[in-house]
Amino acid sequence: MKILHNDSTSADDLLENLNDQLNLLAHMAAEFASTLDVDETLLKALHHITDLMKAEGGAVFLLDEATQIITCVACYGATEITGLKLKNGQGIVGACVINNKGALVRDVHNDANFYSAVDDQTGFETRSILCAPLSVKKGCVGAIELVNKRNPNDLFNETDLKILETLASSAALAVMNARMSQGLVEQERLKRELELASEIQRRFLPDDSTAEDAKLPISGINKAARGVSGDFFDYFRLPDGRIYFGLGDVSGKGINASLLMAKTASLFRCLGKTVRDPGRLLGMINAELCETSAHGMFVTMVAGIYDPRPGCEGLIRLANAGHEPVLLYRDGEFETFGADGPPLGIVPPFPGEEGNYDEVRIFPNHGALYIYTDGLTEGYTETGVPLEDVGVKNILLSMADHTLKEQLNELVRRVSQEHRPLRDDVTVLALSDSQRLHDDVGGKPAEIEDYNSEELDGDWLVDFKFPAQPSWMKMARAFVRQACVEVCCDEAVINDVVLALDEACQNVIRHAYGGPSDEEIELSVRSRPGRLVFRLRDFAVPVEPHKIKPRDLDDVRPGGLGTHLIQEVMDEVHYLRPAHGEGNLLRLVKNIKIK
Amino acid sequence: MDLETREENGVVIFELKGEVDLETSPELRKALLEHVNVGRSVVVGMAEVAYIDSSGIASLVEAYQTGRRTKTGFVLADISDSAMRVLQLARLDKVFTIHDTITAGVAELSA
Repeated sequence: MKILHNDSTSADDLLENLNDQLNLLAHMAAEFASTLDVDETLLKALHHITDLMKAEGGAVFLLDEATQIITCVACYGATEITGLKLKNGQGIVGACVINNKGALVRDVHNDANFYSAVDDQTGFETRSILCAPLSVKKGCVGAIELVNKRNPNDLFNETDLKILETLASSAALAVMNARMSQGLVEQERLKRELELASEIQRRFLPDDSTAEDAKLPISGINKAARGVSGDFFDYFRLPDGRIYFGLGDVSGKGINASLLMAKTASLFRCLGKTVRDPGRLLGMINAELCETSAHGMFVTMVAGIYDPRPGCEGLIRLANAGHEPVLLYRDGEFETFGADGPPLGIVPPFPGEEGNYDEVRIFPNHGALYIYTDGLTEGYTETGVPLEDVGVKNILLSMADHTLKEQLNELVRRVSQEHRPLRDDVTVLALSDSQRLHDDVGGKPAEIEDYNSEELDGDWLVDFKFPAQPSWMKMARAFVRQACVEVCCDEAVINDVVLALDEACQNVIRHAYGGPSDEEIELSVRSRPGRLVFRLRDFAVPVEPHKIKPRDLDDVRPGGLGTHLIQEVMDEVHYLRPAHGEGNLLRLVKNIKIK
Repeated sequence: MDLETREENGVVIFELKGEVDLETSPELRKALLEHVNVGRSVVVGMAEVAYIDSSGIASLVEAYQTGRRTKTGFVLADISDSAMRVLQLARLDKVFTIHDTITAGVAELSA
């Protein structure tokens, strides 16, 4: 062994020294193999190595692959140079790293690579350097450097270099292990966070395993292409028994889409509780998203209200903001309802305007409504081709007798291939009108008011909105009287008209709302030459006109007089469905002699 | 609505004033039924009724019918034009017993 050439060392010393070196090698190999705190371990190892090699000082340098900068991460003895940065290739250390080769420099002043700046700054005098690369399979991740033997007469020798190189390779392994495990820990953390996000997202969706939601004639599925979804659906029952539903698809996939999804879904649920017009609701969400959304992201969305209450014919009011057409299956045929406006988050409303979306009114006639994202129609089927609308229709036709849940499960199953990730998030929402009881036959439903009739009815006199409470009747009468006084001079006629309107309001409170209520009544009065037109609007369950009958006056009993009084006083009485939204509309006309 | 009560010759006299509507008529109904239910005769003076709606009329009808069952008298008297108009529209002007004055009503019931 070369080490025996050293004349100044006795044989016993040499043996002991060798034994120490072997012990250190074994100890450090074990320590490096088990550690994940690489900085701490490197520093400890450096102490042992420097002492064992009887060096004045030692330092560990690591290479940053990306920047190609070599940084001193641990330092022992001699001068403190932790944090010292070198370019890859610079100095003896740099040369060692870039060449992945150890260096034994007995006299630095004879080595062109020597980087003297440190000595110049610190006053330390470097005489000799021993440097070994931290070699790994792919190359070199850094180097261990020792400076000066403690005994000024001693010099580093080849054996020292061999030992240092051996120690350096196990240190290199430890560095690699630590880096890999850091990566794994980070990956694991991200995965866990994604799982949590996905779990929280699932809680945004209605849970049809709860008794309350399971009773509703509506069902949905959301399946994310990645951990989190940019799609959502939601539904909830309003206090009056109607069901609000919505489905949205955020542009893009992944975390950013899922955050915008969370925001849109929250806005839908929160605003939906008070804004009972789907078109207006979408307008409000659009305004909010335009104000705050990340540039270039948008949401396509459908919102609607389904009315399963008796007498309401299952009316669905639907608004579509740039979303796929909605599919209605009714009387054995399909009908589609496309978008009435742009996706949400792109076009802000004009200043001063609400930017409501248009609504369509659908009478499902015991059929079913299907809303889905393009993840379904563009999803790959078993044969590798997209499902398309026609595929959706075929599945629904073949499963017409199945439950909604079974239909939806089948739709999603068709585009979920075992060994292939989903192409996009898939979300489907379906609503069935089949459970609704048939409305009473015998009476025709109220006619829907002509869109333009209000304007045709003439000049504005009064618009007044008030709660359906007896305490508001006095105020309502005052408004009607004021309107009449402006155009009519006959006090007796005015009294009659006031009475008729009062009776009409009472009917709304008692019969439409079923008693005093905080719901509202809208009163409007318009004038045309020779007549006054009154509209009384409520937001209650539609009343079938044939059920509103004046009572037989020969049958003297309390109550039931109101309708008779209205007909007695007014020249025209029409029970209508409002052109927009739900509820009832009573249109009354009184012919007058004008002033 | 304002309701003044007094008694003359064993007959209860109500003087009904102001506006009788969905908000105030329950009070009228309760006061009338309190007396007719225990068999007391009642005259309702309506000279100062500025407004009465079907719910007010219904209270009068209920008291009138109860009065017939309990064999006690129930008459209306001195009815304002606007109240009379509503009774006519409801075709009730021929159903109720109506006197021009409260005194005449009391006279009939205490006879």
